Amino acid sequence: MKRVSLLRLIAVFTWTGLSSLGGGRSAYFHDALVRRRGWIRNEEFVQDFALSQVLPGPNFSNLAVALGYRLSGLAGGVWGLLAIVLPGALILLGVATLYLHGAFGPAATLLMRGFSAAVVGLVLVTTLRIVRGSLRAGRGILVAALTFLAVGPLRLPTVGVVLVMAAVSLALHWIAPAPTPGKARPGEIC
Amino acid sequence: MVELALLTWTFLWLSLLCVGGGLGVIPEMERQAVTVHGWLTAREFVDGYTLTQLTPGPNMLIAVFVGYRAHGGLGALLAGLAMFLPTSILAIVISHHWQQWRTRRWAATAERALIPVGVGLMAGGVYTLARTAIHDGVTLALAGVTALAVATDRVPPVLAVLAAGALGWLLMS
Repeated sequence: MKRVSLLRLIAVFTWTGLSSLGGGRSAYFHDALVRRRGWIRNEEFVQDFALSQVLPGPNFSNLAVALGYRLSGLAGGVWGLLAIVLPGALILLGVATLYLHGAFGPAATLLMRGFSAAVVGLVLVTTLRIVRGSLRAGRGILVAALTFLAVGPLRLPTVGVVLVMAAVSLALHWIAPAPTPGKARPGEIC
Repeated sequence: MVELALLTWTFLWLSLLCVGGGLGVIPEMERQAVTVHGWLTAREFVDGYTLTQLTPGPNMLIAVFVGYRAHGGLGALLAGLAMFLPTSILAIVISHHWQQWRTRRWAATAERALIPVGVGLMAGGVYTLARTAIHDGVTLALAGVTALAVATDRVPPVLAVLAAGALGWLLMS
């Protein structure tokens, strides 16, 4: 079950953690592990993403743990977590020390606005790629669209939406199982 | 001592409230940290969240910021552990069993059934981010330019975001 060496995993997760600025951070993981290296299939990524959203806890660290575990077992999960949390925590502590001593101006706020606008473009492209690669059946598209409407424009509480939509989706998928269960074509990336 | 235990306990149960993205837990965390315990001011809390957006790593590092403000390095360590450790152990346990269960029919069904829910949540996340981040022509253009750059597959995402962020800074200031 070990797909990559621990050192490679730590290097890539650390870089992914360090390069994920401004929100929508799972998009960086998708780019690093699915698009660029092909370590993880698109369908596997979406499963881990869904799991990281359903489980309690910060979803970015949950995703790192699930992906790390998939790639290198228990050690992969532990080191994946440390690699994405520790560097950012140390940087934040440095910046927080500066901030608490009053060394900040409005320039930082402006820079952050630019980052967060750009990140919307990034996560939009990533999400469209995932939609294209993982939704083939009508029921899947229906469930995804309803989930989007509920948590996006309607602003319903995520916990309730996930519980209801997961139950609906389970019922739909149980009644009519797919002919080739969970099989993705080898070259299929997004 | 009691204060440190209280800090740890608070972030422990707050971590369990983070379902489907960290943003949902922010109102309750603000209430606990600012109103109930007085660990920091409301202004500091908002600025701290902005800093976690500006610096790399998970947004929920806001716990480290609050812990640091309240009780220094030890507070930062305990709040961070409380936020990330227990839920990560849970994620490993579930991931572990999932690999064993996935050959059974109910698990295979659950796996396929979770995919569209995850995709829908992700799309909802894009919408939520856009609602806050896109508020005028400049921010809309920045998002569009970044999307095009990323879609060509020739620019690493972090470079595209950094370049667009710097461009936005020049345009907005």
